[in-house]
Amino acid sequence: MRFVDEFRDAQLGRAVAAEILSRVEPGRRYKVMEVCGGHTHSIYKYGIADLLPDEVELVHGPGCPVCVIPMGRVDDGMAIARRDGVIFTCFGDMMRVPGSERTFTDAKAEGADIRMVYSPLDALRIAKSNPDREVVFFAIGFETTAPSTALTLKRARAEGVENFFCMCNHVTIVPPLRALLESPDLRLDGFIGPGHVSTIVGTRPFEFIPADYRRPLVTAGFEPLDILQAIQMILRQLAEGRCEVENQYGRVVAREGNAVALQVMSEVFELRPHFEWRGLGFISQSALKLSDDYADFDAELRYEVPGVRVADPKACQCGEVLKGVIKPWECKVFGTACTPEHAIGTCMVSPEGACAAYYNYGRYAPEKELVS
Amino acid sequence: MSPNLPPSSSPDTHRHCDPEHRCVTCGDVAVPMRVLALDDRRGLALCATDTDQRETVETALVAPVAIGDELLVHAGTAIAMIGDRKTPGREAEEVLR
Repeated sequence: MRFVDEFRDAQLGRAVAAEILSRVEPGRRYKVMEVCGGHTHSIYKYGIADLLPDEVELVHGPGCPVCVIPMGRVDDGMAIARRDGVIFTCFGDMMRVPGSERTFTDAKAEGADIRMVYSPLDALRIAKSNPDREVVFFAIGFETTAPSTALTLKRARAEGVENFFCMCNHVTIVPPLRALLESPDLRLDGFIGPGHVSTIVGTRPFEFIPADYRRPLVTAGFEPLDILQAIQMILRQLAEGRCEVENQYGRVVAREGNAVALQVMSEVFELRPHFEWRGLGFISQSALKLSDDYADFDAELRYEVPGVRVADPKACQCGEVLKGVIKPWECKVFGTACTPEHAIGTCMVSPEGACAAYYNYGRYAPEKELVS
Repeated sequence: MSPNLPPSSSPDTHRHCDPEHRCVTCGDVAVPMRVLALDDRRGLALCATDTDQRETVETALVAPVAIGDELLVHAGTAIAMIGDRKTPGREAEEVLR
């Protein structure tokens, strides 16, 4: 496939890694945060960290859609999923995210009609095939996924589907980034910007990072050469004293984003005043709810949900991992009590979560044998 | 042209979202796919990956779409036309200048 094979070329990769090495100033350390969980996954999958000089450290950011869902929202969804007559639908990884007592997989085993879907359109198809049942779609994801939910709701309205409802947990990427940048315990030199979110919102919303916080950001694709080149571009900016938003992922990302997607989202969604993020707490205007115009489809209005806040398990340090304050293997329960099979924290559930990515691809690396 | 498009819940697509392995939708992953057939009335396209996994895709965000176009697909929706921006058709050597 064009734009895939050439971005996995080993010879080019070595050339870019050599330039990264040549850009490193002796004695200086560089901390670069990859915002998106997809990048985290690629970094571990392709061993990109092993190609970097010791001076360049990659810090994993909060951009994993599953990892940031708090337990209280899972419990709220569970209350709907266990109602008689309801078919509850959600994406695959969401099935295994622990609520305070159980996962959706557990509830399914106990008899609830919970079905995994790949897309919101699949959930709508289930609703159309089961007109005597109420079908609820548990929507998660950043701006990459939100347009798909919005288009599905528009389609449901256009086709007169009245048994389809959405519990909206869509979140937006800029507010948590701003919260991170305000965090006093975090020192970062630059950001790898989220490529697929940027196909929708463009690169313009990230321009506050160099303008207000004097940090470069390079929007990047997800192949190994994409990520290496983004790191190279960040180091080049730092070496030349520049600080700006650059776009490495020009083959699909434009500065202004996708106008149709932004329009559809503004029709169907509105910002919530605040939303709880796992490990990060409440962040203002960081999530979406259905707009008044689409209130008839809002599962939170259709059903009673507990709406209680559930504290994260004490042993779990997902919050610090999501903020990049600690590495996955520095968490007290990493790889022992918390594994992908029996996850305590959300970062271990999704393969895009830093803990699961590291557990699956990096735990046998010699230098990481300090993991007990 | 209005072919009979298979539902995207066909077994092929479930390889994309297998909770035992990796859910690409949860992971913000987008998959490059080529357009094989169009259903303009419903705004859908039948697309295939390079390993011929097929799927019905919503095309509203990238319309107009033609047979043979390469799309980046996430959660059953095409979110971008590949190579449609400032680097159309450029190879990695040029991009990695």
